[in-house]
Amino acid sequence: MSQTQADPLAVPHQGDEGTDPGVLTRGERRRLTGRRRSGQWAAWGFLVPVTLYLVAFYAYPLYRNVDLSARNYTVRSFVQGGAEFIGLDNYQTVIHDPTFAKALSNTILFTGVSLIFQFTIGLALAVFFYQNFRLSATLRALFLVPWLLPLIVSASTWSWMLNSDSGVVNAGLRVIGVDPVNWLTSPHWALASVIIANIWIGIPFNLVVLYGGLQAISTDIYEAASLDGASAWQKFRWITFPLLRPVSAITVLLGLVYTLKVFDIIWIMTKGGPGDSSTTFATWSYRKSFGSLLPQFGPGASISNLLILMALVCGLVYVRYQGKQQNS
Amino acid sequence: MTARRSVTKTLIGLVLTAIMLFPVYWMVNVSFTQAGDMRKSPPPLFPVNGTLEGYRAVLDQQLPYLGTSLVIGLGTVLFTLLIAAPAGYSLAKLRPRGGGALSFILLMAQMIPGIIMAIGFYAIYLSLGVLNTLPGLILADSTIAVPFGVLMFTAFMGGIPNEIMQAARVDGAGSIRTFISIVLPLSRNAVVTVSLFAFLWSWSDFIFASTLDGGGGRQPITIGIYRYIGNNNQEWNSIMATAVVASVPTALLLVLAQRYVSAGVTSGAVKD
Amino acid sequence: MTISTARTRGVAAAAATTCLVLGLAACGGSSGGSGGSATDSAGSKTYTVWDPYPQFDAAADWSKLIDKCGTEAGVTIKRTGFDTTDLTTKTLLAAQQGNSPDLLIVDNPVVSTLAEGGVLTTTDVSKADTSKIEPNLLAAGEVGGKAYGVPIGANTLALYYNKKVLKGAGVDVASVKDWASLTDALAKVKASGKKGITFSAIGTEEGSFQFLPWYWGSGAALTKLDSPEAVSALQLWNDWLKKGYAPNSVINNTQTTSWQEFATGDYAFAENGTWQLGNVKKSDIDWGVIPIPGKTGGTAAAPTGGEFVTVPVQKDTGRYATAAKLVNCLTSTENSLATDTTLSYIAATKDVQAQQVAADKDLSVWVAAVGAAKGRTSDNLGTKYPKISEQLWTAFQASLSGSKAPQAALTEAQAAAASAIGS
Repeated sequence: MSQTQADPLAVPHQGDEGTDPGVLTRGERRRLTGRRRSGQWAAWGFLVPVTLYLVAFYAYPLYRNVDLSARNYTVRSFVQGGAEFIGLDNYQTVIHDPTFAKALSNTILFTGVSLIFQFTIGLALAVFFYQNFRLSATLRALFLVPWLLPLIVSASTWSWMLNSDSGVVNAGLRVIGVDPVNWLTSPHWALASVIIANIWIGIPFNLVVLYGGLQAISTDIYEAASLDGASAWQKFRWITFPLLRPVSAITVLLGLVYTLKVFDIIWIMTKGGPGDSSTTFATWSYRKSFGSLLPQFGPGASISNLLILMALVCGLVYVRYQGKQQNS
Repeated sequence: MTARRSVTKTLIGLVLTAIMLFPVYWMVNVSFTQAGDMRKSPPPLFPVNGTLEGYRAVLDQQLPYLGTSLVIGLGTVLFTLLIAAPAGYSLAKLRPRGGGALSFILLMAQMIPGIIMAIGFYAIYLSLGVLNTLPGLILADSTIAVPFGVLMFTAFMGGIPNEIMQAARVDGAGSIRTFISIVLPLSRNAVVTVSLFAFLWSWSDFIFASTLDGGGGRQPITIGIYRYIGNNNQEWNSIMATAVVASVPTALLLVLAQRYVSAGVTSGAVKD
Repeated sequence: MTISTARTRGVAAAAATTCLVLGLAACGGSSGGSGGSATDSAGSKTYTVWDPYPQFDAAADWSKLIDKCGTEAGVTIKRTGFDTTDLTTKTLLAAQQGNSPDLLIVDNPVVSTLAEGGVLTTTDVSKADTSKIEPNLLAAGEVGGKAYGVPIGANTLALYYNKKVLKGAGVDVASVKDWASLTDALAKVKASGKKGITFSAIGTEEGSFQFLPWYWGSGAALTKLDSPEAVSALQLWNDWLKKGYAPNSVINNTQTTSWQEFATGDYAFAENGTWQLGNVKKSDIDWGVIPIPGKTGGTAAAPTGGEFVTVPVQKDTGRYATAAKLVNCLTSTENSLATDTTLSYIAATKDVQAQQVAADKDLSVWVAAVGAAKGRTSDNLGTKYPKISEQLWTAFQASLSGSKAPQAALTEAQAAAASAIGS
């Protein structure tokens, strides 16, 4: 490898100061900073498309949503313009709404339970398929099929299966002598039903990402452990799981972000009902803005902004966790 | 001993897959069911009194929609790769200042619900004149995949050993040349993975299609399904048949491409 | 050498991309609000029509009719069908950006909302002809005494019954005249091993639509949700569910899934609308129809369904003349018969109604039902109706799923509706 002092044309690895900065001449120091600056130009050059893309396609809709939530929009002012600015009033209305508490607890339950099961099942399946038995690759690909289906189809299929009277799940329960359950129409079961459907839809994503993480772990470590006489469970507990931690963290975070946004599944299966028993922030926001004949855009936008805030907080927690990991 | 263990595992694998795919089987079942039997209790496990009218309707009417979905899917893949790959390269290898902040913003960008994005796009699209056009929809669908793509590329390219990069520099290659000739070929797995995700997400997107291409001349399959969801009447066997027909080519694609799909999100060995 | 090359390349990349994107934006012209796209130039010969019939493609009778009307008016038509629940949002979004269609066909309870938003023109301004339309049907689209559209036809609800199931239970359908006799009939049907009645009680406007005949049939008014009459209506549904005369799935049923249950042939009664006529004839059920009975007899007022043809506000008022021609063409006596037969609606004028009955005797029950029907937004409820309706469905969802007693649910609903309207 060329040293900075010996070969001025070699660009040193960014961030590492080379061997002995004090020994550089002023000319070389100027060239170094110049090179670093030129490196920055090149780096940002590659980033320009994505930055413009972000501003145009994410910042603008977000700004419009915040605007929607901060003004008193009636149907008339939405169309004609001229809605008055009311600051945080919409947020106040939303927080004091009787549905708020239930929607919040449902959102947390829905997201938390979905994530736990999606991740655990995804991980178990990834480990299982990693063992490369015959057909493992094909079966693993088949596991991704739920992803191909448009959400209206998957959600409708689950609705059909869980129908109280003509659903196949209840028919199966009757066959084994258990009382049929009102999956979608009972306030006790509605949330559980949508969680089950959501878990089913989320498993493929977890499977793919965790499997990729497994592939990145070098097999040498496993061989060394085998030589030491480690059992399969020990290998998993002390090698696989810790080494998967970064992948797991990002999978859980992404899963969280995606699950918080989920609304199609719940809307198609139960419309957030009966009553509020399966209403989450996402469905509540949709219901306010588009679910009745008279749209209430202000409150609807406020609820979705609160949702984004929740996701933001989780994102910050993740960044701190990642920071700690890198320092350790 | 290994052979028998392998067979047991294969059997377990088959059972697990069957459980996972049972709702998909149910969808196929419904697609063959007659209108009068839709709500029969108990529901038949097998469409004994089957009908092909759903499939006939699909083959007559839905093929243009499928074609459009395919075009949109491929377009989304290309556009996503075009934006995400360079960005991932930069964040992984070129260490731009503020790169961390940008990564965080990309993460945040995925938190915005689709309906909010769609409504925001409406005004932009109208003024750009791309409302109800395919390029517009491709652009919109890419917003689903780009942040994830950047994340994936950053992680993957981060795993490429720096020695390779420095060797290229010694030979006089600039950033762009290094990117195109060295980094991209090595990131083949990431390219395939991101392409797959982008394709699947755009294939099943409804919200953008509905808001931004509702009146377009050519519409994707998710809108095509709504042909069967009339004002007061829904033809469920046709709807499910559409889903089945729409899933077959993509399922084949999945099985063929699975060898390359490797969503390695940490820097690890770049196995070729 | 390397420094400047890298920097130049970086700058070049940045500049190129920036130019590209800005160029696109510049080419697009000024930002939203400045006149629509397809409907801008005053002499433009293409008129856009939006309707909630995505099931009709270019070859369907409906599309052909619109094209014919367009040709007669001397313009080309560009028609798009949207899902009806989506259409309101799309219209508001389009109106905000100045991109409204020339002709909008929309579900009747939405008309007052759009009118209030300033999206629609009154028939005075657009000069569409409402002289022959039945008053009770026109009322649904009236706000403050002004009509904002012309009904294209109407549909409403009635009770379909399965003759075989009733015969097997020993029920004479002529005896079903009020709630008590209906419940009796259901009891007999259940005793004979079949299922009683199916309807839709889902937590959306569709559920309210299905509940209203019972609500109004008890004598209750929408301005007071917790009156004793209203409670009795909810109690009726509650009892049916408890006793097993109606299946639990009604809580999640749409009118379509409710119909599918009836189509299995196991149910005696189904509360559904005119649009199922085609389906019931295709099925192998020996069927009949009776109007929904009121609590103590007579026919209950059912809500009017069906769409209105409206003319949205345009920047170029010169377009209204042709739009009015299109409206009158679609709702004219000559064309109404064909349209309403395709849509399975009852016509909005007495002349055409007579023609429909002459062509198909089965329709006489429906014509009578439509004659007794009421608009949901009538009685000057206008945009208050959606708020009341939302509370109504919340109430019966809570009550039917067992979380609240009928009186409690409706009292809460009334309080919530009153405060929603007051605000």
